[in-house]
Amino acid sequence: MKNPTTPPSESLKAEPTITTVDVPIHQELGPFKGAKKALGVSVAGDAIWYATGDSIVSLNPSEGTPRQRLDVKADAGTAFDGTYLYQLTDATIQKIDPETGEVLSRIPAPAEGRDSGMAWAEGSLWVGEYRAGKIHRIDPKTGKVLAVIHSDRFVTGVAWHQGELWHGAHHGERSELCRIEQDGRVQERLRLPEGITVAGVDIDAHGHFLCGGGDSGKIRIVKRPGER
Amino acid sequence: MDSQINAAARLLATGDPLGALQRVALRSDAPALALRGTAMAQLGDLRAAAELLTRAHATFETDEALSRARCVLALAEVALALRDFSFEPARLQDAAATLKQHGDHNNALLAELLNARRRLLLGDIAGALSATHNLRFNGAPEALIGLTRLIQAQIAIRQIRGAEAELRLSEASAHSKASGIAALSLEIQRALSVLHSPAGRLVEAETQREVTLTQVEQLFQEPALLVDACRRQLRHAGMVINLSRRPILFSLLLHLAKSVDRTATRTDLVQEVFGSALMNDSYRARLRVEVGRLRKLLAPIATVTATAEGFKLEPHDTSLAVRVLLPPLWGSHPDILALLSDGQTWSASAIANALGKSQRSVQRALAQLAKQADVVPEGVGPARRWVSASLAPIATALLLPLHRD
Repeated sequence: MKNPTTPPSESLKAEPTITTVDVPIHQELGPFKGAKKALGVSVAGDAIWYATGDSIVSLNPSEGTPRQRLDVKADAGTAFDGTYLYQLTDATIQKIDPETGEVLSRIPAPAEGRDSGMAWAEGSLWVGEYRAGKIHRIDPKTGKVLAVIHSDRFVTGVAWHQGELWHGAHHGERSELCRIEQDGRVQERLRLPEGITVAGVDIDAHGHFLCGGGDSGKIRIVKRPGER
Repeated sequence: MDSQINAAARLLATGDPLGALQRVALRSDAPALALRGTAMAQLGDLRAAAELLTRAHATFETDEALSRARCVLALAEVALALRDFSFEPARLQDAAATLKQHGDHNNALLAELLNARRRLLLGDIAGALSATHNLRFNGAPEALIGLTRLIQAQIAIRQIRGAEAELRLSEASAHSKASGIAALSLEIQRALSVLHSPAGRLVEAETQREVTLTQVEQLFQEPALLVDACRRQLRHAGMVINLSRRPILFSLLLHLAKSVDRTATRTDLVQEVFGSALMNDSYRARLRVEVGRLRKLLAPIATVTATAEGFKLEPHDTSLAVRVLLPPLWGSHPDILALLSDGQTWSASAIANALGKSQRSVQRALAQLAKQADVVPEGVGPARRWVSASLAPIATALLLPLHRD
């Protein structure tokens, strides 16, 4: 693995610049009653879980309607390791059993609450730090920081899909989806329409982005360009 | 934003500003400053709130237009609570446009409501009406709908439309209960108790009784000669003659209408109208002149007959009732007390602005009221503000100006 702490400015000197591609919103779900916000988003098998502030709600993806509600405060990123949910709440990350809604354990969040999006991959949690534009790779059991990735944008949602690391970004009043290498090099940038907020991101089995719309309470589905 | 900010916002939304502050007290990044400012405003420390929100506005990056617009909105709300009318309406308008542009319709609606409140406080009823006209509530929270109904009720009260005010307040109450916001419910309760308090005292044929706003609304529609001592107006058959700029003439009319059989002696009239205990030919002549003016004014409706002792007011239609409407409080400067009855602190310049008077005359009035222990000063020099010494809400509808000229 390359050194993940190389600042992007140095590594970008030799690289060709990438172009930003404007993408449309393919579909919107919600807002649903009692779920005023859509902060973290996580695909978990046949369900879409998202953080609403007061709870974590699961949607039935084929019908796009709410199915289950966990009574756990949920302030930012949501992740899933195949069995358990991880949820950013205030300055902690809570590990939750999605069957019962029980909080099993807690670890401190790597940026002490300045954390935004979260994803699970390769045995680690990957947690965005919003204004610092960083992603922390941490041990899910202890919260110890294993690596830091520097992006060139404010980091909102974080998602892994088929070996690719993506993050939601906020730049110049527009929201973006950025694919980056672990050394911080940006490989792809997709720009969303004006007025759209991206608070959390995950990617489903079809490779579609599921974006939490923040205060709008909506989940927006975005396709990669060139896809049908 | 980030997890801690969202947690603090969540606590603010459930009415726990102290809990919210605990989360972000040590942070000085822009969103934390904005949140701290909002929490301080909820806790009632408006000066600290203004300072924090101003810092937040300056700390956000120039391209974070939505966040900056929300700061301006919060600052406008704090300025209004401080009764600081120097906050430029154009700043709020720009913020409202930015909020709409970014799809923040709820906050855009709040901006419109703040605009309406400001106009209402300044006596611009027409402006307040147009600001609350055609508002859209798509998915707006109960609190905002409740606030809209409250403002509409307050406008109706200023227009002396008691039945409409009742309706709006009951609507406001329902929305406020659904919202669970205590401060809003409290304001609505206060408005209801003001609506049900005596708005004035009615004098007719030597009897006097208290009347509510709804009863005053009714009185304005009845076929009688009504001398309104609250607004210095004469009402008859739907016609209103404004005598606020002719105080001597009004005073003469008032005392004739109040007197037994509507007859007053020359000595009494000279005392009441000119303020002199002395009676001489000069005053007699002046009195004749004023009576002449009054006759001219009343010619279509009534006449003023001279008797051996004095003068008598006689309507042409002898069955026509003559009524006098007095303010609910009969003391000095009831309009200033009415303004201060909202429980907020006001500066002399803000009072002058709201009543359309000169700052000097307001300052003289405040000095007198302070001597009578009706108002209490706070602070010194340019920061001096005034607050009502009484906690009881006053029915203010008839005491405050209806329009700006």
